[in-house]
Amino acid sequence: MNDLAHSSAILGGRTTMTHDTRPAKMETKNLRFYYGDTLALKGITLALGDRKVTAFIGPSGCGKSTLLRVLNRIYDLYPNQRAEGEVLLDGRNILDRSQDLNLLRTRVGMVFQKPTPFPMSIYENIAFGVRLYERVSKAEMDNRVEEALRRAALWSEVKDKLNASGLSLSGGQQQRLCIARTVAVKPEVILLDEPASALDPISTSKIEELIDELKTEYTIVIVTHNMQQAARVSDHTAFMYLGELVEFGDTEQIFTAPRDKRTQDYITGRFG
Amino acid sequence: MTEHIVTSFDDDLNEIDGLIRSMSEAASAMVGQATRALIDSDDILSQQVISEDAVMDARQRELDDKAITLIARRQPMAADLRAVVGAIRMAADLERIGDLAKNVAKRVSAVGETVAPRHYSQSIETMAEMVLEQVVSVIDLYGKRDVDGLRGLRTEDEKIDIQYTAIFRELLTYMMEDPRNITACTHLLFCAKNLERIGDHVTNIAENAYYVLTGSQLPPYRPKQDEMTSALAE
Repeated sequence: MNDLAHSSAILGGRTTMTHDTRPAKMETKNLRFYYGDTLALKGITLALGDRKVTAFIGPSGCGKSTLLRVLNRIYDLYPNQRAEGEVLLDGRNILDRSQDLNLLRTRVGMVFQKPTPFPMSIYENIAFGVRLYERVSKAEMDNRVEEALRRAALWSEVKDKLNASGLSLSGGQQQRLCIARTVAVKPEVILLDEPASALDPISTSKIEELIDELKTEYTIVIVTHNMQQAARVSDHTAFMYLGELVEFGDTEQIFTAPRDKRTQDYITGRFG
Repeated sequence: MTEHIVTSFDDDLNEIDGLIRSMSEAASAMVGQATRALIDSDDILSQQVISEDAVMDARQRELDDKAITLIARRQPMAADLRAVVGAIRMAADLERIGDLAKNVAKRVSAVGETVAPRHYSQSIETMAEMVLEQVVSVIDLYGKRDVDGLRGLRTEDEKIDIQYTAIFRELLTYMMEDPRNITACTHLLFCAKNLERIGDHVTNIAENAYYVLTGSQLPPYRPKQDEMTSALAE
């Protein structure tokens, strides 16, 4: 019954607490998002647990990637896109005009569906991001690169070829390089937009193992079309449909006994 | 429930459902025939029940295979996952019901050889009718998605337990009256115990079916009344 109270409280936007009584890391309150005149998110209220993995699932066009893109305001790069409502990071509204976007994106990092290594060496792929925000010595940079590559479970595979191009790596390795790049700037929240959709099962498992490890330090949000993947890696799951948050709850509950018929139909493959 | 986008998924689930139904029908027939054989001292009928058990076992294995294959191939979620896991568990209970009916059938010849009066088994006949009704209705209620009915079955099981305790006392009295009754009454007591266990398996099935249909567990059940509590009271 606790679960029910939990999800309805979050859906009702009446609380900033999550299950383990740690305050929510991020929270959206009545969030609306427009592509020009088109309303893509219709008042989303949900809380992302601190150092928890939250999965967004739903059919194409339901708004899950849009919601992810709001969380670090990456949509700001495009004209005619705007968000209304509130998105709180540690209680502060990031939609506020005074928000420093570069700072926001160091705190809320993002990894995309297609691996996007920069056309430079493996070492530079990671050092590049760090240099943007910090001034560090060569020795310190070496440490940061190694630490990030270890975190992303890539170190043992690339330690002898750090000067090779990032593009020479396999798809799975490139994706882990992108995760390493994100981790290197020491973010607090990591957004993953279908990070394993283009990868083979072994690379996918490595990414999932990585998510398990990273969540001890970071709050993670993952958008995925793979239901089993959402069930495997996440603590909480949000099901979205037509720009609305239909159901949000413990992953265990969503995948064994969803309360809303639309959630049930979607995850069991009955969506007509 | 609406159909799956992939229609062969529905076919697979229906196949498992069909096996549960056929196992339930077979279990009902076995319980009915075993009691009939006991009451009428019918050795031929009891042999039939004993041989039926092998068919029951084979169906359970078939269901297990199909369920495991379905999980591997389709990775069912939510209601589908509950239905498949529930089917595996219900099949195990139905198979046990078959075993217990077989145990009753195996005692038919032993009871028949004794001099115990026929009316000794009358209360068992009443109990068997109650049990049989439960076995027949549980899968029926599941098929009709009648969750209230399933919840009610647990209360019905209590009546069976009470009847069993009554039989226990009755047979004990016969044995004390005349030691020549001991062999027959002991066999009858085992038969009654088997019937009582069948009732427990029906309760398990009802609880499983309830979970499959609703996604939530029935609350824990009352402390069990049996011959031990009655013996202690004396």
